[in-house]
Amino acid sequence: MRPEPRRALVALAMLTLALAAPCAVPAAADGVSRAESRLVDRAVPDIPLRLADGRTTRLAALAGDRPLLVAFFYRRCAGVCTPLLEWVRDAVREVGGLGADYRVLALSFDDADTVADLRAQARAIGVLGSPHWSFAIAERDAVAQVAGAVDFWYRRDPATGQYDHPALVLALDRGRVVRAMLGAPGGSDRFRELVWELRGAFIPFYRVPGQTPLACIAFDPRTGATRLDWGLALLALPALAAVGAALVTFAGAGRHRRAA
Amino acid sequence: MRAVKSQTLYWMAITFVLFPVLILLGIYMRSVQAGALPALEGWFYPMMTLHGVGMVGVWYVAAVACAANVLAKYAAPSPAIGRLAIAGTVVGVLLLLACVFLGRFAAGWYFLYPLPFKGEWPAWSAVVFLVSLTVLGATWLVWSLDLLRAIAARYSLGQALGWHYLAGRSDPVLPPAVLIITVSLIASVAALVAGVIMLVLFYLELATGAPNDALLMKNLIFFFGHTLVNLALYLGVALAYEVLPEYAGRPWKTNKVVVISWNAVLAIVLVAYFHHLYMDVVQPGVLLYIGQVASYASAIPAAVVTIFGALLLVYRARMRWNLASILFFLGLAGWAIGGVGAVIDSTISANVRLHNTLWVPAHFHTYMVAGLVFLVVAYFYHVCQEAAAAPERTGYQKLLATLMVLGAYGFFLMFYLSGAYSVPRRFAAYPAELAHGAIYSGIAAAFAALFLLGFVLYLVETGKRWRRALAHAS
Repeated sequence: MRPEPRRALVALAMLTLALAAPCAVPAAADGVSRAESRLVDRAVPDIPLRLADGRTTRLAALAGDRPLLVAFFYRRCAGVCTPLLEWVRDAVREVGGLGADYRVLALSFDDADTVADLRAQARAIGVLGSPHWSFAIAERDAVAQVAGAVDFWYRRDPATGQYDHPALVLALDRGRVVRAMLGAPGGSDRFRELVWELRGAFIPFYRVPGQTPLACIAFDPRTGATRLDWGLALLALPALAAVGAALVTFAGAGRHRRAA
Repeated sequence: MRAVKSQTLYWMAITFVLFPVLILLGIYMRSVQAGALPALEGWFYPMMTLHGVGMVGVWYVAAVACAANVLAKYAAPSPAIGRLAIAGTVVGVLLLLACVFLGRFAAGWYFLYPLPFKGEWPAWSAVVFLVSLTVLGATWLVWSLDLLRAIAARYSLGQALGWHYLAGRSDPVLPPAVLIITVSLIASVAALVAGVIMLVLFYLELATGAPNDALLMKNLIFFFGHTLVNLALYLGVALAYEVLPEYAGRPWKTNKVVVISWNAVLAIVLVAYFHHLYMDVVQPGVLLYIGQVASYASAIPAAVVTIFGALLLVYRARMRWNLASILFFLGLAGWAIGGVGAVIDSTISANVRLHNTLWVPAHFHTYMVAGLVFLVVAYFYHVCQEAAAAPERTGYQKLLATLMVLGAYGFFLMFYLSGAYSVPRRFAAYPAELAHGAIYSGIAAAFAALFLLGFVLYLVETGKRWRRALAHAS
């Protein structure tokens, strides 16, 4: 082998190694997102439910032909449950589409909860009487089936009577998970994106970077409004470059032709 | 006997080796989807990536190589740049093979951001994939610019785009193939620059960790990929304009309609790719409507004018039918048929239903295989036969053309039926509720094998002529 190609190969290998080193960084930051993405397309069992008004139904019948947003809670929770439901309520009000595009179900996983507890919880967050919100309890085994299907865990602490559990919101469509959100309320933009997806918009389920130096079109998940950004100029650049290259090439050759 | 440029013959050899291998990968994928190869299921996505990038790349360079050979009649492309294009393509293909077979890189031929960084494959394989695209893109950009330079050495920009015909003048005479090649090369530069910008953004993220905007990257990827595929087709059509008149015994001249239509293509092809972003809520609605209108509009100047022109050319002509003219005619038909599927898919209300189904591979396989592949292999046979002047076996040629047509259209039909029955694309294995997808896949694999058989017979017929042509190559 001659020295030039060898040097080129070495340079290529070094470039590859140098570029590969930071490549793992973005993937490592997405642990939570991966846990959520594992739930996508999981089938959720169609369990019987008892609603706050005393009626009984099944999960599939409650959803009907629309997607269903499911949040897990229990009435005596001194932690995340009520803030989680309030968070869902506020985001749903902001984004809209409730009733027309999807319904919400708050499902208790505490077999000590009663129909009266469900009504109390609904009243506490101001949605009692809303036809598009449902609060439900179910048999212990039935809840366990649903929880098992979506990796939702809960453990009762005998000392306090409180449950140790994560905060989980599921978007179901035709009995399958289309999106899941794990974690405490706070970063509500992702939740709003989830609701946009339930309204029929395509939102990638993987996490996309938030702070981009050069955006194309900015999207406000609160209002659904879009705003053009500077990155859009990069989409015009190829056409301008092509026209410029053609003009320069033909002008240069034209001079040669005339000179000849 | 007409001598062929040796570089054209080398491009043929590359195509003749790679295409059957890539067909086998396609048959493998449909067999996995049919449930016939469960032990090899793990390779589905790496092979999907190789099949997609490989097919697009092979047929793009094959079409450009044919265009360069056509141009050589009227202008003088640089032989050195031609050699660089071959060398760069070989290096790019080797890098692609390395990242797929050694690194199991499997982000698909769209490699939509941020997927290359999110998969289970090692980081180095994503980098090698990007380096492979860089080598290929940079080489092809230089090649395109050199071919433009060659055209510019004979024509002014206005002449090469046929604008003097609009003023009622026909001097200098501009062959329609040169007009189409000029339009395609200018648009190719735009597509390849879009690819360069996209790759630079990928590298910047790798080097600095600063994330990119997913929508910007998706726009750039489709500006690059979709436009390049379209242009490969247009170059294939240019071959038909150049060669089909020889078999019809009539000229196919440039006129005002041809000039207007192909100049319109130059603008339309650069915005048609927006139809790939219908599902992205953030993409402004006006761009989506531009995508739909441009997709419809691109069918009128290019396809309607060309198909109408081809029919007039052949109608009541003393047509000399051989393998080349048959495949040219079939190629134009396949382009039109695939175009109908594409127009349906580019309709927003239909795309909502069809976008993630096998309808999408259905239409692009139709215009790639029954359109571009037929046009290019027709040209390959034509130049080899011109050089070899060998006696032609009409029955054998009709048989192999029949096998290729039956195999191809049977294969497409399974995709179309699957798409119409909501079978999703990019599934390696179908769940129970999509079991009908597995049945279509099995039948499709059989049809693809039939097409491969036809192509092997084509290779036998053309290969003999290729060897003689190589002996007399210039």
